[in-house]
Amino acid sequence: MKNPFFHFKSVPIKKKELPLNRIVKEKQEIMQSLIDSYIKLVEQEARDLVWLVEQSRVVRAYEYALKSIENLNYGQDDIEEFCAEMDSSQKIPYIISGPSGIFISALINRCSDDKIVLRVEDFQRTFHFLGYRLPEGKSLILQGDVGDFIGAGLSGGYLFVEGCAGNWLGAGMINGKIFVKEHVGQKTGEWMRGGEIHVDGQIQSIGRHRFGGRIFRHGKLVIPQDIKRDLWGR
Amino acid sequence: MGPLDRNNKNTLLEIWKKVRKDHLFPEIADPEFKEGDEAVGLDIKDKRIRISKEFVERMSERVPVESLFEGLLDHAVSHYLFCPWDLTNHIRLYREAKKILKSRDLAKRATDLFMDVVADTTCVSQKETPIPHIYRSADKNEVQSAIYALYQKIWEVDLGVQGHEEVSRKLSRLPYMDRSKWLESIKRFSRIIAPLLKKELNTQSMQNPGPMGSHSISSYSEEEIHKALREIASEVKGPSEFSDLVSDFEKDLKEGLGEKEASMGLGPGRSLDADILYYMKLAERYMLPVKKIPMKRSGSLYPHHHSPWEVGKPFQDIDPWTSFGKLMPGITQTWIRKEGEIFGNEERIPDCIIIIDSSGSMPDPKRHLSYAVLGAACACDAYLRSDAQVAVYNFSDAGAGGKRILPFSKKRKDIYRAICHYFGGGTRLMVEHIESLQNSQIPDIFLITDMQITNLETLIEYFNECKNRVTAVHIGKSRQVETFRQSLQIRKNVSIFAVEKKEDIPKIVLGKVKEYIVHQ
Repeated sequence: MKNPFFHFKSVPIKKKELPLNRIVKEKQEIMQSLIDSYIKLVEQEARDLVWLVEQSRVVRAYEYALKSIENLNYGQDDIEEFCAEMDSSQKIPYIISGPSGIFISALINRCSDDKIVLRVEDFQRTFHFLGYRLPEGKSLILQGDVGDFIGAGLSGGYLFVEGCAGNWLGAGMINGKIFVKEHVGQKTGEWMRGGEIHVDGQIQSIGRHRFGGRIFRHGKLVIPQDIKRDLWGR
Repeated sequence: MGPLDRNNKNTLLEIWKKVRKDHLFPEIADPEFKEGDEAVGLDIKDKRIRISKEFVERMSERVPVESLFEGLLDHAVSHYLFCPWDLTNHIRLYREAKKILKSRDLAKRATDLFMDVVADTTCVSQKETPIPHIYRSADKNEVQSAIYALYQKIWEVDLGVQGHEEVSRKLSRLPYMDRSKWLESIKRFSRIIAPLLKKELNTQSMQNPGPMGSHSISSYSEEEIHKALREIASEVKGPSEFSDLVSDFEKDLKEGLGEKEASMGLGPGRSLDADILYYMKLAERYMLPVKKIPMKRSGSLYPHHHSPWEVGKPFQDIDPWTSFGKLMPGITQTWIRKEGEIFGNEERIPDCIIIIDSSGSMPDPKRHLSYAVLGAACACDAYLRSDAQVAVYNFSDAGAGGKRILPFSKKRKDIYRAICHYFGGGTRLMVEHIESLQNSQIPDIFLITDMQITNLETLIEYFNECKNRVTAVHIGKSRQVETFRQSLQIRKNVSIFAVEKKEDIPKIVLGKVKEYIVHQ
């Protein structure tokens, strides 16, 4: 009797190992490490149930984030994909907007790439605290609208926002430059100590407590200047 | 190809045998040649692979004909076996791409490219294929160069492409072979490739889809198209999203379904009624049961009761069982026959009058998923499937002209059109309109409303008197619903169902009666 499976005998079943498999596997491992580190940070920060924006908390969260990623090797693509995971994935069970932005900032500041571009317009979530303590020699380009406390504590880096920024832009920044293509919210430059903020759109209000630094609108110096409150020349 | 025609045809069939074997014998018809494009080698229509003669003629100078055939066939079979696998997957991928790219042309192109990458990569990983040879020798625009740069990276082959470092690096990180992540992957794929696609669209070079061609819905069979529409209708958020998706594929759908579908809201020569199609396809997923009733009547004499036999009475009516086998006056029993109507054994489903409320308190079925329309569509589908006829009374403020009456019909499109019509405004029905649709066969009545009818008492009174089997479905709960329920709870021919979510619809049983009703 003829074997009905005869034809199947000669079928080559060997699978070729493509470089794609290696690339994807490496990426997934890095992504899992980043997610684990982030979850640890959130667990640490969620102990008090409510996360308030306080100087001590922000500093503590940032330091914890830096520590949790110190042994990780990642690049700009990983940061971008981590943001995408945060935006849509089920892998990250809870997102607290403050610590998540601080964690991304820690990733950016520790990343080996000097220039980092994030297409935040692709995400539904609004990220806050991006560019926190961005150090000298680093450029961060944020394509799209961003949330509050962008470039807070900026420490010499260059931050470009190709969209609108929320409140407390450049809060407590020490050095470096922030460029915003569109409008910014209230208390811009609050507690600012140095550096420059350049805004091409409207500034809703400027922070009253400043200790240095300069703010420009449409290329013209706005602060320090004797203009009291009215930024529109009225 | 001229004199080489016959040889090439034989070669193609020989190669096809090998390709089929390598891919474990997929159920695809033998490929054939077609007069076609110089730049596009492949076209799949109704699951038949067609290879462009002109393309083969031109490319045979650079790639051996055997490799050319094998590569093209490998690519086509991989689409059939891996990605998109079926039209549902194709539309799902397109839907995700469109969410990112917001443009039909860009989303279609991104979906085509993504499916090509998945199919080719799977093929390359599973067998020795000459696909890379074809790509190496094919003409390429910028987008194709970027994709070939990706192939260089993930297949570790040289396709003679330089540049596109960033795009290919980012694209190479996507898990193309992981089917469960395709929907996430295509979003990222679309984002990365969007700038190149926009550039391509502006330079009009999108018309050249590459050597493997583009993917059209007409490559799928009619059954697959119907199945995909059913599945997509249940996956989308509402009729407007379905309408957007379907209108993006309108031309392809019309081609794929042909003239036969003229009665299905999809026919050629007119614009596609996407909202009707949405409810039609969604209703096909819910198979509502319809209770049958015995319909055949008999008017002959039938044995009714016994009476003692007497001398002079005919013998033929004697009942030997009750007469103890004796023929004696006073002991022998005879049957007395009576004339009357009885029901025979044959059962069938009666026609149905669908009464649907399309007043302002109901959602607009074209914008949001309307449970009323979906429920009515399911009822309509159930009766039509049983070869019964359906009449529609669609009302809002019927007294002021807000009504649409469709007499009994089996024309699915007309019925759905009448059901999907939305009036808005007040809610008042006229029982005279329902009465005008009644006939001697006593059709079933299917009512679907939120019961916020200003003359609800009139309707209750009508249902209390009518002999029809009434299936009343109310959307949501209200005081009026309670009144309706309480007023009709003793009626055995009226069954009431509540629908608050999509999952409640399958619970409806059409023509359910609490006790068998004898029509007299």
